[in-house]
Amino acid sequence: MLAFFSSPVTQTVLGALNEGFLRTLELFCITLIGALPLGLVIALGSMSRFAPLKFLRRAGQGRFLDKLLGFRPISLLCRLLVWVVRGTPLVLQIIILFYVPGMERLFSWPSGGKGRMLAVCIAFVLNYACYFSEIYRGGIQGVAVGQQEAGLVLGMTKSQIFFKVTLLQMIKRIVPPISNEVITLVKDTSLARVIALQEVIWMGESFMKGNRGISGLVWPLFFTAVYYLIFSGVVTILLSRLEKKLEYFR
Amino acid sequence: MAILEVRNIEKHFGPTRVLEDISFSLEEGQALAIIGSSGSGKTTLLRCLNFLETPDQGTISVQGNVIFDAADPATQRESEIRKKRLHFGLVFQNFNLFPQYTALQNVTLALHLRDKGGKDREAIDRRGLELLGQMGLSDRAGHYPHQLSGGQQQRVAIARALALQPDVLCFDEPTSALDPELTGEVLKVIRGLAQQHTTMIIVTHEMAFARDVANQVIFMDGGVIVEQGPAQQVIGDPRMERTRQFLSRYAEN
Repeated sequence: MLAFFSSPVTQTVLGALNEGFLRTLELFCITLIGALPLGLVIALGSMSRFAPLKFLRRAGQGRFLDKLLGFRPISLLCRLLVWVVRGTPLVLQIIILFYVPGMERLFSWPSGGKGRMLAVCIAFVLNYACYFSEIYRGGIQGVAVGQQEAGLVLGMTKSQIFFKVTLLQMIKRIVPPISNEVITLVKDTSLARVIALQEVIWMGESFMKGNRGISGLVWPLFFTAVYYLIFSGVVTILLSRLEKKLEYFR
Repeated sequence: MAILEVRNIEKHFGPTRVLEDISFSLEEGQALAIIGSSGSGKTTLLRCLNFLETPDQGTISVQGNVIFDAADPATQRESEIRKKRLHFGLVFQNFNLFPQYTALQNVTLALHLRDKGGKDREAIDRRGLELLGQMGLSDRAGHYPHQLSGGQQQRVAIARALALQPDVLCFDEPTSALDPELTGEVLKVIRGLAQQHTTMIIVTHEMAFARDVANQVIFMDGGVIVEQGPAQQVIGDPRMERTRQFLSRYAEN
């Protein structure tokens, strides 16, 4: 056993897997940092009551007119985005985002691994932000209206009510569903290999075909499971700690 | 001069008329009870006073100043409404305490938010403790709402409303969400406020309480004021047949 781990081949493989895993981690962190706040923006956007045609109310009544009065462009746009992003596979979004700009000569990604990482990050951030936005929306709407009214009656501004009253209650509600998504994200990062981002699965697989002078090895691919298990284990522990922390109120 | 003057308030929800031609006035230091069956518009009236609903018609004046006029959009600007709300305090039927804050923090939150720069931090906390003491809750200042009984929660909510020193304190069925055993402690507190001549409007189903505590009583039915007058008279010896029916049905239960 010890001989296996100290052999030069194993050392090379583990070195490569570590390198791939760092890339996995990078993608994971960037996605969370980008998607958690962007999701909130999309959630607030889809709940936006901005209706530029409301002034037509003076024009009278009618079914068609009512439709115009209720036209909320920001909300519509956000909901459309969420529908498209959630309604198509993430793999497809990565492929389109990476290849189409070059094919259509819109712009080109930086060459090499950097460009791949950038494209993949954008696809992941956008995709997860849409999923998060729906969770946020449920969380915000789940906080009782009475909480807002209590804030209003006390003379608070809308933003004070959001940040001082609603936000924490919302966070408490959304931690369990967000945890679910975060655990899924741990494993979804492997989809990045579709455009040959050299994350941990890509690395594991590469030793079957040949990499760093080693080929025909199957175990590195299977061994990547250990990385995912440890990683998702750590994430689970951290998230359940956060859940515990918020248990001081109901 | 009346501290509060409400004239010809009217409110529709879609095609349904919830309030019609509501007019009354309230003198400083007096308590007004509003009674009536569910759906008679009592709560909507309170919500109009607190700018949680916008009346379709009518005016609301405080100390002679018109603070709301349905015909004058200038009185309905968002930024000013926030300040005007502070003329009124509102105690909700189901308390609506902020669950993530302690009893004391619930009472002082709005004051701390208005205290830019935190100069009066300590004075505000002292004031909060004083109010909780007044409510008999000195030993509960550090408790979170879910650790308190319904009656205690409602008393915290009353302290929270008092902290902003409103001209008129409104109660929306303050004991309706409480066990019968717990209503007494809340009513006692409100009674105490009346003795200190706090100007109050109390929507309630507690007839005996309304008769004892209120100076004036308004009986509402179907969105209109059926009868208003001194509490003893409206509840003890109502003039209108509709009021009599309502009160006798109450006596039966």
